[in-house]
Amino acid sequence: MPYNIAMVSDFFFPQSGGIESHIYQLSSKLIDRGHKVIIITHAYKGRTGVRYLTNGLKIYHVPFFVIYRETTFPTVFSFFPIFRNIVIREQIDIVHGHASLSSFCGEAILHARTMGLRTVFTDHSLFGFADAASILTNKLLKFTLSDVDHAICVSHTCKENTVLRASLDPLMVSVIPNAVVAENFCPLSHSSRAPDQIPISPADPRPSPTPIGPDDTITIVVISRLFYNKGTDLLIAAIPRILSSNPNTRFIIAGSGPKAIDLEQMLERNVLQDKVEMLGSVRHEEVRDVMVRGHIYLHPSLTEAFGTVIVEAASCGLYVVCTRVGGIPEVLPQHMTTFAKPEEDDLVVATSKAIAALRSNKVRTDRFHDQVKMMYSWRDVAERTERVYQGIIGDISPSEFYGYYPGQGWDASGDRVRSFALIDRLKRYYGCGVWAGKLFCLCVVIDFLIFVFLEMWFPRGNIDIARSWPKKRPAEKSSTRPIRSSRS
Amino acid sequence: MTSLPTSHSTIPPPIPVETHPNRSPSPGSQAPEQDRIPDPNRLAPEDAYFAPSLSRARSAPANYDDTLGSLNGEATLRPPRGVLGADPNRKDVRKLGAGPGVGRRRRKGAWKKLLWVKQSYPDNYTDTETFLDHLQRNPRVRPYDFWPLVSDSTVIVQHVCSVVIFVCCFVGIVQDRVSPVSIVCWGSVGTAMGWILWDNWIWREQTELSNANGAIGGDDGSSSSSMVSSANPPGNDTHANGTKVSPIHGLGLTMAANNSKEQLPHQSLDSNGSLDGVIDATTRSGLHPAPPNATVGSVDAQDIDRSSLFSSRNRQRLSTVKSAFLIYFSLLGLSPILKSLTKSTASDSIWAMSCWLLIMNIFSFDYGSGEGAGATKFPASLSTNAAVMASTVLASRLPSTTHVFSLMLFSMEVFGLFPIFRRQLRQKSWTGHVLLTLALVIIAGGAVGMTLSGGWASAIIGAFLGGLLTALAMGGCSWWLISLQKYKNVVIGPWDPARPIIRRHWN
Repeated sequence: MPYNIAMVSDFFFPQSGGIESHIYQLSSKLIDRGHKVIIITHAYKGRTGVRYLTNGLKIYHVPFFVIYRETTFPTVFSFFPIFRNIVIREQIDIVHGHASLSSFCGEAILHARTMGLRTVFTDHSLFGFADAASILTNKLLKFTLSDVDHAICVSHTCKENTVLRASLDPLMVSVIPNAVVAENFCPLSHSSRAPDQIPISPADPRPSPTPIGPDDTITIVVISRLFYNKGTDLLIAAIPRILSSNPNTRFIIAGSGPKAIDLEQMLERNVLQDKVEMLGSVRHEEVRDVMVRGHIYLHPSLTEAFGTVIVEAASCGLYVVCTRVGGIPEVLPQHMTTFAKPEEDDLVVATSKAIAALRSNKVRTDRFHDQVKMMYSWRDVAERTERVYQGIIGDISPSEFYGYYPGQGWDASGDRVRSFALIDRLKRYYGCGVWAGKLFCLCVVIDFLIFVFLEMWFPRGNIDIARSWPKKRPAEKSSTRPIRSSRS
Repeated sequence: MTSLPTSHSTIPPPIPVETHPNRSPSPGSQAPEQDRIPDPNRLAPEDAYFAPSLSRARSAPANYDDTLGSLNGEATLRPPRGVLGADPNRKDVRKLGAGPGVGRRRRKGAWKKLLWVKQSYPDNYTDTETFLDHLQRNPRVRPYDFWPLVSDSTVIVQHVCSVVIFVCCFVGIVQDRVSPVSIVCWGSVGTAMGWILWDNWIWREQTELSNANGAIGGDDGSSSSSMVSSANPPGNDTHANGTKVSPIHGLGLTMAANNSKEQLPHQSLDSNGSLDGVIDATTRSGLHPAPPNATVGSVDAQDIDRSSLFSSRNRQRLSTVKSAFLIYFSLLGLSPILKSLTKSTASDSIWAMSCWLLIMNIFSFDYGSGEGAGATKFPASLSTNAAVMASTVLASRLPSTTHVFSLMLFSMEVFGLFPIFRRQLRQKSWTGHVLLTLALVIIAGGAVGMTLSGGWASAIIGAFLGGLLTALAMGGCSWWLISLQKYKNVVIGPWDPARPIIRRHWN
């Protein structure tokens, strides 16, 4: 059964980034599967009103006050009138919010629950528990997620984090990874095949590419924003040592950020300008062209929920050296990666190991692209997300959706299927904390009153229903494929 | 998307990886226990949302795995945790525990904490064994002991007492009960005594150091150090430099001089080289000039060391006295200005402001021991500034220039110099520290008693009550802090940003 889905987030194009492309790819694949998807975000500079993207994906750019890094000002209630209007116009069944730092998403989930809609939340990032900022963010997340129907996390580590931060029932949190558009990240040798999308049979005996000789130059690519939490300090410390211990090695560094100055100073101090090429920031569509110039992708990040970029690198046929942090160890198989501890010495050792492995031609990097293509695809992500929608709407029975695990004490919380009754919602919010619980309850009650007021003042009947984009017939392939849920 | 068989044929079978940077695979010896009984320090999935159960230690029945295994085979199967090469010991235990599930595992495959494998489990499947596996609670908590805590709290008591004494002195001056001159005289006598004691310590420390160094110098009796030092004849140049440089440090000139004295013995070995740009060896001998010619034995060298040290000490003392006089006279010159500085402000505002400033002083005071990495050598400037400002605004309520001068000088002694002395005393002798604390508590209590009702009897009662209250507060607060420790719940896991370990190497 097709659903009408509204994706809500502060972050969407024209700003580019992981969350933005996630929302876009997921939405377009869901549209391919026959659903109707709209995206609600705030107005960007030069991007206002209602827009359509490819495939009839409709974007509402709601004018809103932006405070910091494209995050809107968190006014708990002011989004409600226009949100209600959009939701009624588009006959939305499911509101799907993205990113925990987006106040749009939090508000939308609250209002959607007040309006009696099912809600899903996707968390894309990891947060600690120690500093004051995280404590505040976690409290807000708890407010958002107390009443959400289901949460989606991009990695198992992210799931653990979200479950702890928002005190959720672990069975109400699904893990659905990000994906890559493998066609956009093919290795150089592969580019001729790219247009035809026929999956190559796995046993395809393609000639192995020219082997790397002992004296050939190995190029190490780094593409990341140069911030502290991306591990730029580690990179700065490791580059001179990697270059000195491995002759015939070059670096290509793409990205900009506050740490770029430190990096350049290091280059000048060690006179490495001819061995390290700094490209500055590159656009997302140019990333592939940078990646295919190298052999190894180095990812020294200190925290990462999923790390899409390492999947992209592997898809480009690069051997990946990365730090063992966050969700990264779950993302790629062992034969594609060398893991390092987030320590300078270990990073140098791991990179040297990777260089040695490449030089001995033990790593079949030419097969990486096809393998990654089988591991991650947005169509798969959309299928799995669809199952979540089916579960919360009730098209899959709760016992099947949540599974039945007796004897583990989990079935104690019986309200996985969240009722819309105000008293039940208040009960859930009340448990959020001694003071916060009461404050949250107050917010919910006010939200409900606003809803009643809006229903009287702007009756539903007066709101026009928007015409849907003419639907393509759902692709035959996807309808014949067994649905994921049947496997559980 | 491909179905399972094809993906198996191209992609090698999943090798589980260790998913935490700072945890090595658990050693085999502890594996059986871990499998049997849930670690009380580890959260189970249900702990995440049953908030009250966070604090309870989970106890498990002896046949924990068996019961679960028989109830539902799949969910309890432990996927291979850690590296593949787990010891056989552990595998046995797993088989035992899994019971009837073993057969089914073969068919279906255990759940793995990996994203790239297509698994036959639903997306919201939560694996009991690996979920929150890497979570650590309170990993770096150091439990407090009662008596060390009490003894550490004496530092705070000392400072609070000295603030109380200062306030009482001010009240006494304002109410014309005490003559400001007597207060400042007593204060100055105390300061002078403290300084002499201090000077003595430093002297002793330096001679010890020079003895030790003399031995070193005799040991390596090396050509390089003695040659270089004989090239720059007066070895105490370094010293003179050090003392000349030091008075630049702001507020307390005497303080700064003291400061340099304190620093010298500690730092001369490593960092003084930057002062005059000689190589390390010279600096070492700069403190105690090396023998004029390399053949002289170490005993002779020490004698000469002593004499030159003595002269350098005298220079330092001279400079200290000089800066003390500088402060004295500048304060004398400033007192008329300070007297009328905030005269136009209402008394209410002055009381409120000085109150807040003194509270600020107490809270921002650097109670550290002056040791360790982040140690500062003298109290944080915010605290000292707040105190001096408090006394400045208070001074405008006083009737004459003499009063103002006395109060200001006294406040400098109490807030500028006394903390340095206290810190040094604490390092030098613990008994002295305890005695000083006692004395301060008694004096503060007595002063409060006297201020409130006057007369020696009330002073004694005040001292008694003050001592009692302080003891109660120290004990009570320490006990309270210890009892609060059970609420400490630091959660650390793989989602925390890793702390990069970088070796600093400056070419």
